[in-house]
Amino acid sequence: MIVVEKFGHLVTGTQAYIHLLLPRVSYLTLVTDKVKKHFQKVMRQEDISEIWFEYEGTPLKWHYPIGLLFDLLASSSALPWNITVHFKSFPEKDLLHCPSKDAIEAHFMSCMKEADALKHKSQVINEMQKKDHKQLWMGLQNDRFDQFWAINRKLMEYPAEENGFRYIPFRIYQTTTERPFIQKLFRPVAADGQLHTLGDLLKEVCPSAVAPEDGEKKNQVMIHGIEPMLETPLQWLSEHLSYPDNFLHISIIPQPTD
Amino acid sequence: MCTRSVSAAGGADRNRPRSLLVGLELFNMEEDEFIGEKTFQRCCAEFIKHSQQIGDSWEWKLSKDCSDGYMCKIHFQIKNEPVMSHPETFTHGQTCLPMEEAFELPSDDCEVIEAPAASQVIKYEYHVLYSCSYQVPVLYFRASFLDGRPLTLKDIWEGVHECYKTRLLQGPWDTITQQEHPILGQPFFVLHPCKTNEFMTPVLKNSRKINKNVNYITSWLSIVGPVVGLNLPLSYAKATSQDERNVD
Repeated sequence: MIVVEKFGHLVTGTQAYIHLLLPRVSYLTLVTDKVKKHFQKVMRQEDISEIWFEYEGTPLKWHYPIGLLFDLLASSSALPWNITVHFKSFPEKDLLHCPSKDAIEAHFMSCMKEADALKHKSQVINEMQKKDHKQLWMGLQNDRFDQFWAINRKLMEYPAEENGFRYIPFRIYQTTTERPFIQKLFRPVAADGQLHTLGDLLKEVCPSAVAPEDGEKKNQVMIHGIEPMLETPLQWLSEHLSYPDNFLHISIIPQPTD
Repeated sequence: MCTRSVSAAGGADRNRPRSLLVGLELFNMEEDEFIGEKTFQRCCAEFIKHSQQIGDSWEWKLSKDCSDGYMCKIHFQIKNEPVMSHPETFTHGQTCLPMEEAFELPSDDCEVIEAPAASQVIKYEYHVLYSCSYQVPVLYFRASFLDGRPLTLKDIWEGVHECYKTRLLQGPWDTITQQEHPILGQPFFVLHPCKTNEFMTPVLKNSRKINKNVNYITSWLSIVGPVVGLNLPLSYAKATSQDERNVD
């Protein structure tokens, strides 16, 4: 995914744009140091305050993974994804501040802890040492897959006598609602031992997303830019398609008409 | 230990299905600090009923899709004034006030002799939401000056009362941070629930020995509220909940 960052406020020539390749699983403020440095060269110091990003008038929430933002807001548009960078007029009512990398780490770890509260009543993550938590964060920050998964694999285990996690960490996003996301308690395994599917989840917590059986498909259900089959077991999705924060971030977007 | 029922899983005999349970059963409140969502809503309703009786301004707000809601209160405070100004009930050091003493604090009406400068008045908005992940209430809040300028995270950390400062400074990023409000989608400050659970259980156990009918929300809010400038008048503690069994 290529991102073109357009500097919206100063009309200059070639310095107004920068191309970057951004990881889907990371966060905007974690991967845009280059952007800051680039634009700071062409701006006056006094004009620079906190950086923020916007797409077609919508401020972009840095605390959402980049891939989620793209799927939700721009997946039907052509690449590169044109994002505008701002250094002024921070939208206080819409965006969380990101005062430092500590804020990103705190947010990321808070999501991981909540995911484990759902999966394991927090037992696995609480048993880890501080250095293990640090390793998860450093793995994400430095894009080190092996470093990250050395610890994260423990969060994907479950007792032998169970068929899955206690509850599945998921959030369902739609741009059409005031509520930022739907998150509820949902078990991966039914009482009769059958594995619940993605379709089961949607029918239960977001029925409007799923087309009636003989009706026309109105929406796409997207994770990481793909539409998994609705018959996919949710437990499998949670183990294999979660973001690094251990949540399944699911976008419901209108079916593109082309 | 807890009376929570579980759906049939691992049992050796899959041919005999056990009864199906939907949703989350109530934990035994004598032992655990968790509550189910229905209990949360019921306790909030009782809490608000008392609030209305004493002219405290808590309200229940429904989400737009009406599937859930939260308690809300707006409160004005003068900056730099001590949060707990009653010297006799104040304990020194790092321990937080036991619940009984917290209730002896005077109610929050600031009796102001002179009108404060507008720049010193801060508007606090407190929201009490339910977290299904942690199965506890969570306190969200935002704060701004009268001209609309919001307080920063640094302002909030600095404003935490001395009594709680040490605990905050041990891990500020684990304790109070900015987060997205799960219903409104706007930036709020949050008191992290995993931290508050650490000190809820022993206090709850004791409070239930003293008065079995104390509302869970009252107990919880009397403990976490003062950390972020929210104090409860004593009458909440005295208001007994209605004689209900745990029906859900």
